[in-house]
Amino acid sequence: MPTVNLWAKDGYLSTPDGNSIYFWGFAPRPDGPAQIPGPHIVVRQGEPVTVNLVNTLASEPVSILFTGQSNVMAGGSPARPQYGPGGELVSFTNHAEPNGGMVSYSFTPTHPGTFLYESGTSPHKQALMGLHGALIVRPSDYDLAAPAYKTAYGFGTDTEFDREYVLITCEIDPDLHRAVERGEPYRISRFKPRYWTLNGRCAPDTMFPDNAPYLPCQPYGAMIMARPGEKVLLRYIGAGVENHPLHPHGQHTRVVAQDGRLLRNGPVDCSYKRFTVLVGAGQTYDQIYQWFGLGYTPENRIPTVLPNIRNLGVGEAGWTMWSGSPYLGLKGDIPVGVTSFNEAGEYYFMLHSHEEPQITNWGEFPGGMMTMIGIYPSLSPDVGTLAMG
Amino acid sequence: MALVVKNLWVKQGTLNLPGRTVPFWGFASSQGAPPTLPGPTIEAVTGDAVYVVLRNNAIPQRVSVMFPGQRNVWVMGRPWGAKKASPRYEGGRMISLTDYLEPGRATSITYTFEATRPGVFLYESGTNPENQVQMGLYGVIIVRPPGYNVPSDPNYKTAYGAGTGTRFDIEKTMVIGELDSLMHEALAQGAGYNILDYSPDYWVINGRSYPDTLRSNYDPQMPSQPLGSSVAVRTGRRLLLRVVNAGFQNHTFHLGGLVGRVVAGDGYPFTSPARDTSYRKTVTTLGSGQSFDIIVTPEYPGGFYLRDRDYNHVVNGDVFPGGMMTRVDVTS
Repeated sequence: MPTVNLWAKDGYLSTPDGNSIYFWGFAPRPDGPAQIPGPHIVVRQGEPVTVNLVNTLASEPVSILFTGQSNVMAGGSPARPQYGPGGELVSFTNHAEPNGGMVSYSFTPTHPGTFLYESGTSPHKQALMGLHGALIVRPSDYDLAAPAYKTAYGFGTDTEFDREYVLITCEIDPDLHRAVERGEPYRISRFKPRYWTLNGRCAPDTMFPDNAPYLPCQPYGAMIMARPGEKVLLRYIGAGVENHPLHPHGQHTRVVAQDGRLLRNGPVDCSYKRFTVLVGAGQTYDQIYQWFGLGYTPENRIPTVLPNIRNLGVGEAGWTMWSGSPYLGLKGDIPVGVTSFNEAGEYYFMLHSHEEPQITNWGEFPGGMMTMIGIYPSLSPDVGTLAMG
Repeated sequence: MALVVKNLWVKQGTLNLPGRTVPFWGFASSQGAPPTLPGPTIEAVTGDAVYVVLRNNAIPQRVSVMFPGQRNVWVMGRPWGAKKASPRYEGGRMISLTDYLEPGRATSITYTFEATRPGVFLYESGTNPENQVQMGLYGVIIVRPPGYNVPSDPNYKTAYGAGTGTRFDIEKTMVIGELDSLMHEALAQGAGYNILDYSPDYWVINGRSYPDTLRSNYDPQMPSQPLGSSVAVRTGRRLLLRVVNAGFQNHTFHLGGLVGRVVAGDGYPFTSPARDTSYRKTVTTLGSGQSFDIIVTPEYPGGFYLRDRDYNHVVNGDVFPGGMMTRVDVTS
């Protein structure tokens, strides 16, 4: 039976403009840093799960809601809202008291899918402070080795995938975080986010690898990598309180499930294609994304006429993600003085919030809720995987 | 085909919100009744002829009523008799989205339409709507399929008729929205208000903020907010939630841990006998003016807090819990 242990802790996250922001997050080890988002919990449909929460915060209780799961137990009894001495609501579910209190949740996932776990205590503060994460439930017939069974929702649901990525959206208002740090009044009515994050990171940090040592509290990258035609499962999760229209350049996604429920009624396929998916607060969207290129075929490897290299803007910023060649997998000449970050003749496309003030870091473009999709000529099968646990 | 006549009197009133009172403009169902938020519910059956008689001797502004989702709305009044309701202009400028009533006259304007299809719809002011809708001039229309109350009829206890997957045991309408108390104070005193300063500080379900949402219907302390929104339901029963966003903000309705099936949007069912495109959700975003019908069939007992997942809206004066939140109590 999988057991997940989480410690609610405080820490400091980094933003690319040099800011260091106090936050609350879940840590996977008692001696490890808090992280935003919390550790991905990856389990299997039908197998009981236990999540133990230890609250090391000094100021208030913390709890975890597993929206989309049924019959969640806490300490062996059905999880229930918690009330204070005056009958006032404190938590939507059983909580762990501050300074080392503990609560143990258990449930058996009945449906595969993508879910948000988040604090159910003072959620106007705690969800935004970072106490949230992703719960991924594999279908009961999931089999990594058999393509027809490597699916998001089970055999025959048209949700097979080659690689998968989790993108969790959130917003950060540094003034509110500082108020919590200093124990000052938390005035949510003044909520004015300055940073918009994917997996707790702002661009360009979103494109850095998982577990980058210089981002100890933000272990999850948001770079999407695949080969042409591969089925990429994108799991969007809205963890903040605002909606974000996420949009990959160049290709539609097919939304196959929402809130961890397959978009299918018996024989009727209700999945749909979108250019932009509005990631609503507290909601999840599973999509299959395939890059086929703009007319790209093996016979027609370059479907457009390129301008002369001197007329391209590649030299302006002194760096580029262009390989110097229009052919996938090939590299060519780059103007003198320009650094190419292109590794293997891959193509790059942006994936970002279409609410464009959000692709800044405190107003400075580029930044915020933005990452890249890299289409590679060849790619290790280890890229774009999520381990169980 | 019955005749449904609804009187709507525009009045000034007072809302009881946590910690304070806030003036508002609302519709009352008679001359002697208090105005309510939301306004009186208009109930009709498909095919009914609905007449809405609007009167105003309370606020010094033109007022009107719009019926988004209804077609062929007619206006009856002197001196022109009956005509199609249409936008009104003055000197080439639009002054109202539909025919209006001049202020300060002991007269009325009557709107009429045939309720052609079942569903849940808003009615709201079409004149200075950026002020009047926020001040409280809105309500809901519920149109039922024929035979909805006849146990032998296939449409019995359905929201949209047989074959639409909308059979229910219990029904609860939740009109959600938000209030800017400063704006209410200003407009109630006849002062101006710049809508660009709109900054709501109360979030409501049926005109009440939590914990008042849990109080019973027709609570004597809340004469202008007669509708609570708590629900008691047994496991296995089908609870139809009719959620309508009358506010200016988008709100994200969280079912408190329950899983719902979204069966209709904006009064259009997602299922016909030929094709079922309804879908399950735990949380649903409603744009301003939109509605969703969601059927929840609780599987196990518990207390479930339905709420705005925009967690900055579950507070009263920056303090959790409050705002747009209510509770469903499930027993076995």
